[in-house]
Amino acid sequence: MTRLLSLSSALAMAAGMAAAQDAEPLRIGAAVYGLNAEFMQIWSAALEQHPSVQDGSVEVTVFDGRYDALVQQDQFETMITEGYDAIIFVPIDIEAGAAAVQAAADAGIPVIGSNTRVNSDLLTAYVGSNDVESGRMEAEYVLGQIGCEEGGNVVILEGPIGQSAQIQRLEGNQEALAACPNVTVLEQQTANWSRAEAQTLMENWLTTHGDTIDGVIGQNDEMALGAIEAIKGAGLNVSDFAIAGIDGITDALNAVKAGEMQSILQDANAQAQGALDLAIFHASGMPEGWEPQSEIWAQYPDMPWNDGADKEYNVPWTPVTAENVDALLATRQ
Amino acid sequence: MQERVAAGGPALRRADPRDLARRYGILIAFAVLCVVLALVNDNFLSTRNILNVLRQTAINGILAIGMTFVILARGIDLSVGSVVALAGIVAASLATTSSTAMVAGGPYPAALAILVGLAVGAACGAVNGAIVARFNVPSFVVTLAMLSAARGLALLYAEGRPVPALTEGFRAMGTGSVLGVPMPVVIFAGVFLVAWWVLNQSRFGRQVYAVGGNPHAATVSGISVPFVRLSVFVISGALAGLAGMMLAARTGSALTQAGIAYELDAIAAVVIGGTSLAGGVGRVTGTLIGALLIGVMNNGLDLMGVESYYQQVIKGVLIVAAVMLDQSRSRRD
Repeated sequence: MTRLLSLSSALAMAAGMAAAQDAEPLRIGAAVYGLNAEFMQIWSAALEQHPSVQDGSVEVTVFDGRYDALVQQDQFETMITEGYDAIIFVPIDIEAGAAAVQAAADAGIPVIGSNTRVNSDLLTAYVGSNDVESGRMEAEYVLGQIGCEEGGNVVILEGPIGQSAQIQRLEGNQEALAACPNVTVLEQQTANWSRAEAQTLMENWLTTHGDTIDGVIGQNDEMALGAIEAIKGAGLNVSDFAIAGIDGITDALNAVKAGEMQSILQDANAQAQGALDLAIFHASGMPEGWEPQSEIWAQYPDMPWNDGADKEYNVPWTPVTAENVDALLATRQ
Repeated sequence: MQERVAAGGPALRRADPRDLARRYGILIAFAVLCVVLALVNDNFLSTRNILNVLRQTAINGILAIGMTFVILARGIDLSVGSVVALAGIVAASLATTSSTAMVAGGPYPAALAILVGLAVGAACGAVNGAIVARFNVPSFVVTLAMLSAARGLALLYAEGRPVPALTEGFRAMGTGSVLGVPMPVVIFAGVFLVAWWVLNQSRFGRQVYAVGGNPHAATVSGISVPFVRLSVFVISGALAGLAGMMLAARTGSALTQAGIAYELDAIAAVVIGGTSLAGGVGRVTGTLIGALLIGVMNNGLDLMGVESYYQQVIKGVLIVAAVMLDQSRSRRD
């Protein structure tokens, strides 16, 4: 059964948009790879908060792809049959999503990519964050802590080998590591984004290398948190390690606040609302002088709207620091 | 084989070297693996690493012990991985200090949370067992349904979100220790000893073997077959609940995605340990060795820096080898 999360509010249609004044509200479908983890939940909730959804001029329906490329393909067919005005696509697989995009393009429905990439040039536009950049930023933090010149030993906890985020974050990790020849990578292994797997791996690495490990580069927050648990379990002092993760999940924000790690926030809110603005823009026939409704464009001057003409919008990463962590935690209540 | 007539105690038989190899093959394989790892890695036999292996094996070991009861009684329990998530989430929601995930009035004492978690697990098992016993539906189908339903309930209950910030009292199950022995290992040992006693010394244990060996004969001899069937699923469910709470306590947060595919590792440990999927034949000590074998293999390959993908291949080879051993044993009976 397709799990539908209707995010549209029952509010009367507002007269804000000239194009939508006498028409039905625009129907936009969001096909996301899965709703089990916190990041995509924040992403989906952000769609509901978009001003155009709030004022009733746009109706958004989120389709849970349940981590299955075939399910996502079926959901595309449903949206095409139902005549959706635009589709926002967060694919599970970089290759398998291409056929779904093709089908929508054939039906003349604009598809806006968000968060994860799909290998298709038929995508109308893409709003996401550059994983190479986050991989570089987190590694630079760890290297800065242990000292690039003095050198030391780090371990890398990788995502599932072959996933685009793992490939790109590793590329970023390696870019930063290349600048510090005195730093040795003792171990590098996948823990499949999982806290429990990372904890086991780190326990075993601590057995082999003891406290010669100076830094932990976790390609996501869950794995960095697993490493922290392993360090505590081994009776070692977390503050003796430089630990970094990516994503800015709530547990990681709390760990940053406790001074245990560094995290790099991937802004789900900006990725979702930016993609929705582009979807509305293209679904309404790209009216001249149309202004995006979300506040995120004002929030990120480095990501200009450019009249909606760009193919790719890069949402900047935000390092979570002692200064901004309380404000970020407040948004998670 | 004499296990079939366990009610009468082990029969006397002459020692045949080939038979010994079959009977103790898995123990020999385990010993060889340990010796090899001790030779190639200095840290393998360190106290800390041994405690690590036991701690890492505890969760799968406890699931496998529950699975042994079910398989001995000629059933299978595919739902344990999902029950791990459901019981972990429900118990954690009673023992969290996070205001968003907390059950009203919490956090409650750890003991209460643990009792509720065990009850949730036992209830899932009771539903499985009642349907199997009352309607004679194959347990494969019934527990397959529970695998889906329990995961869905966990997602609904937690609204898909993790339950973080567990109380120190609750976390003691995963991070505490008794006289230097980690708490998960203490719990694992306790569960094993009780299970060993029940299966080898109690009337109920003999009934489990009898029901699995020949349900018709068991009925004729006055055993309540439905009661035994119900009971083994309740045991498996309650132990899955226990394992789920230990997992949450160990990692510090309960996740709705926890325990995915854990049933497969539990079944693997049982099968590698020489228990027949046909029911009635097997020992819980075999399951212990099977679980330890998987744990030691994962640990040893991590220590040697072997990619985790090899671990999966080797586990596959082990399962097939164990089943072939089991087949050759059955033919000789």
